[in-house]
Amino acid sequence: MEAPENYSTSTFAVPFEDAKKIILRWDSTASDEARERMIFDGDREEVDLYLQAVDEIQKSMSSTSISPPSSSHHHDQDNSSNIVNSAIQIAMARLEDEFRNILINHTSPVEVDSLLISDHAPAPASSLNRNTSSIRSSNEFDQEEVGGGGDHVDALDPIQRADSSNSSASYRSTSSIREIHLIPQEAVADLQSIAKRMISAGYLRECIQVYGSVRKSAVDASFRRLGIEKLSIGDIQRLEWEALETKIRRWIRAARVCVRILFASEKKLCEDIFYGIGTAIDDACFMETVKGPAIQLFNFAEAISISRRSPEKMFKILDLHDALMDLLPDIEVVFESKSADSIRVQAAEILSRLAEAARGILSEFENAVLREPSRVPVPGGTIHPLTRYVMNYISLISDYKQTLIELIMSKPSTGSRYSGDPTTPDMEFAELEGKTPLALHLIWIIVILQFNLEGKSKHYKDASLAHLFIMNNVHYIVQKIKGSPELREMIGDDYLRKLTGKFRQAATSYQRATWVSVLYCLRDEGLHVRGSFSSGVSKSALRERFKTFNAMFEEVHRTQATWLIPDSQLREELRISISEKLIPAYRSFLGRFRSHIETGKHPENYIKYSVEDLESAVLDFFEGYPVSQHLRRRSQ
Amino acid sequence: MPATEHQQSFLGRISIRRNQVIAMDGNHEQELEDLELFQRHTGDRFADLLSLPDDSPFPGETFLSISWLRKLVDVLLCCEAEFKALLIMGRDPSQIPKPPLDRLLIDFMERTVKVLDICNAVSGGVDSIRQCQKLAEIVVSALEQKPIGDGQVKRARKALGPLMSALTTDDKENNHSRYAERTWSFGRRGSNSGGNHKDRATHGPFRSSSMVVAKNWSAAKQIQSMCSNLTVPRGGETTGLAQPVYIMSTVMVFVVWALVAAIPCQERSGLSTHFQIPKQFGWAHSIIGMQEKIGEEWKKKEKKGSAGLLEEMQRMEKLGQSLIEFVDGFQFPAEAEKLEEVAAQVAELAEICQRMEEGLIPLQQQIRELFHRIVRSRTEILDLLDNGKASQPII
Repeated sequence: MEAPENYSTSTFAVPFEDAKKIILRWDSTASDEARERMIFDGDREEVDLYLQAVDEIQKSMSSTSISPPSSSHHHDQDNSSNIVNSAIQIAMARLEDEFRNILINHTSPVEVDSLLISDHAPAPASSLNRNTSSIRSSNEFDQEEVGGGGDHVDALDPIQRADSSNSSASYRSTSSIREIHLIPQEAVADLQSIAKRMISAGYLRECIQVYGSVRKSAVDASFRRLGIEKLSIGDIQRLEWEALETKIRRWIRAARVCVRILFASEKKLCEDIFYGIGTAIDDACFMETVKGPAIQLFNFAEAISISRRSPEKMFKILDLHDALMDLLPDIEVVFESKSADSIRVQAAEILSRLAEAARGILSEFENAVLREPSRVPVPGGTIHPLTRYVMNYISLISDYKQTLIELIMSKPSTGSRYSGDPTTPDMEFAELEGKTPLALHLIWIIVILQFNLEGKSKHYKDASLAHLFIMNNVHYIVQKIKGSPELREMIGDDYLRKLTGKFRQAATSYQRATWVSVLYCLRDEGLHVRGSFSSGVSKSALRERFKTFNAMFEEVHRTQATWLIPDSQLREELRISISEKLIPAYRSFLGRFRSHIETGKHPENYIKYSVEDLESAVLDFFEGYPVSQHLRRRSQ
Repeated sequence: MPATEHQQSFLGRISIRRNQVIAMDGNHEQELEDLELFQRHTGDRFADLLSLPDDSPFPGETFLSISWLRKLVDVLLCCEAEFKALLIMGRDPSQIPKPPLDRLLIDFMERTVKVLDICNAVSGGVDSIRQCQKLAEIVVSALEQKPIGDGQVKRARKALGPLMSALTTDDKENNHSRYAERTWSFGRRGSNSGGNHKDRATHGPFRSSSMVVAKNWSAAKQIQSMCSNLTVPRGGETTGLAQPVYIMSTVMVFVVWALVAAIPCQERSGLSTHFQIPKQFGWAHSIIGMQEKIGEEWKKKEKKGSAGLLEEMQRMEKLGQSLIEFVDGFQFPAEAEKLEEVAAQVAELAEICQRMEEGLIPLQQQIRELFHRIVRSRTEILDLLDNGKASQPII
């Protein structure tokens, strides 16, 4: 045994025998008192005394182990080393319990709920200096995630409130990570002094395990509060998409809190406690704590990323992608160590899988648009639901332009002009040079939409209605593009002009199909009788002509009043265009031949309509409901 | 690694097939030949696994050891690659979505989702083996000190307790609170453990949630339902793709079944009885052989409760048992003979820890690789199924 003088040099040192006594007094397997009380819950002097005792025992352990074994005192040597070792073990078991106890005393889960809601209530009138006491954040305060109110502060240990002065000191360069003090500084200091001793005595593994088990349960509790569920991939595949949409929304918010606050704070806590004690210990403890939870968190996003692709999933997948993309730099900071490789890699993989899914969904959508099979013509030639759906879809796509421009890297796989494949439309890219692949996809979608609509238009028996249908739908496409600046910019004015030309062409085709034959009745040819001086007009032919005209016009009027042009301006324009052709032709025909009829019998049987009658009849066109009676003579 | 070997030959195979595509498109004989090759390769690969002697000269190569499991996963990866080549390469995609193949593939896809969950669960199981490893390392570092005194023994005992309970955990109870957790050195109930902290729910027993899967998820049920619609192709379907889909499904089910038996996994009751492979197939002989072997082991272990059949865990359990006897009867100073025996056991335990240290992470990575591969194939096959079929109205 060593001489007491050795210890007088150190002010706080306790002699070995005293040290041993102290250790044994706190042997929790031996006495009730030791079992009931925790050293670190009590008097600071007691704490200091105990720690000094541990130091003393450790010191003598190293001296017994380095003293050369002398053959004569071998047994004594062994014996004394056994006593020291035993004391060390008792001390370490005690310290382990103390370590656990301190950790447990500070495991109230972070009030993450309040971190979730955007809460910018004014600072409470208490002495609390708002969240500086608990949240070390950057100047840039993201309103979405961190509740500004003091309620979550209340959840933290009271000691922490007193701690507000020295906690706002360190900032991270990353603006979005916000560490909070999970455990007050005093307790961290205690934990640190215990950890130091356990590790120097070779009890590192024990220390890591205790740390990990307590902190992990704290993280689990926070997870429950955040509503992070454990769902298997199978479960997620079975859920309805609407249900998943809600879960995705919730997951995004929860993941932000987890990565930026929860995990980041756990990491910081490890760094604080294990700072300067050995290498990579903080990291080992951190991973022990969060590896499982992190995997659990990412499993959900992973399951979503591999779900079956269908168009309605696009936008939530993109939300998830964007959220993860946004989090990735923070994930890389929080999980920077080598041992966290797998987590970083997994996050990156999920991100690329989500990107892949978005691409897949886009091509799935293109396929669906091309093949959409409904054959029943929409009545009245109005806008097809497919057109509305597709245009709404692509204007949503344009809302996600920023992301999708980066994700969509290849041009659409279009049919080539010479492929001769009748099931796919052609598209020339030459004139669309300089466009992003995303813009090309959007144009391509419009191309295949039109292609599909052309197919549908063939199911109309009336060619005029087919043209009207195309006109309506392409006009709708143009209006939707013009209505969204993003979409308009991507589609470009050139293609927009093409589309405009297309519906104008359809309008022309409609007019030709309907009105050429009507107006043909109003021609002069065939009415003049050759070689006659008196009048030169064949009355019977003229009468026949008027009758034909009346019948045709009535028929057109009757049917086309039930047709529909939903856009009032377009409707108006088309009617004007009809009138511009019909009215002058009728007026002049009437002017030239009226007298021939009026001099005969029953002129009203042949000239049924005045110019004004026709003018007002045209106003019935394209309103979408049948005219109740036959066309009346309104002006007589 | 054997995987790369197979991988290379597999890649070579693809390029050959690609050349054949033009000439052989739709050729029935080619298809039969491919099927035969697939069967032969599958049979050979599993035969290699079965033929490993129990007392192999290469340490750690034994049946159900970590390195054996790594080979097993490799075999699955190889079969999967060949299967995909068979299914997709050089095939007219319009064949895929037609009956009966569409139905078969949809069932197959259902199975792959379950494999994905099992991959995650098994990967979590590997993490819990690592917990055992760490406890065993404590035992080693306590008992390899010389001389062994009371302190070392106490330290070892403290680690041996949770180690043994982790190794013998009966997953039927789904009780992971015992799982590799260090306990208080004395019976603390927290009733009067200082008044300055808030008494919250966190004071209850520490529930380790090392399991990453859902609460009610059951490995046994997953495997059961993977098998439920796995039927041997009937006469009319023996040609074409019904046969490869059946083979691949069987291989997949067998491999994940073996993984679940070997590695701690949630809820495995009745695992030994779940699936049967008809004996008439040549390629299945070795699989059936291994299945019987593992099944017997499982029945034995199931009775007394075991975390897994992994060879290293079994040995760890045996060593742990005798070390517990040693520490319980320990009196200082111990007899030299006893100490020698213990030293040998500790050395063996250290060797197992070393093997775990070297093998578990790679095994986990391979399981992850399997996960990726299945996801990729799944996407490709779903694309084929979707593209060929008549479109649904989207509105």
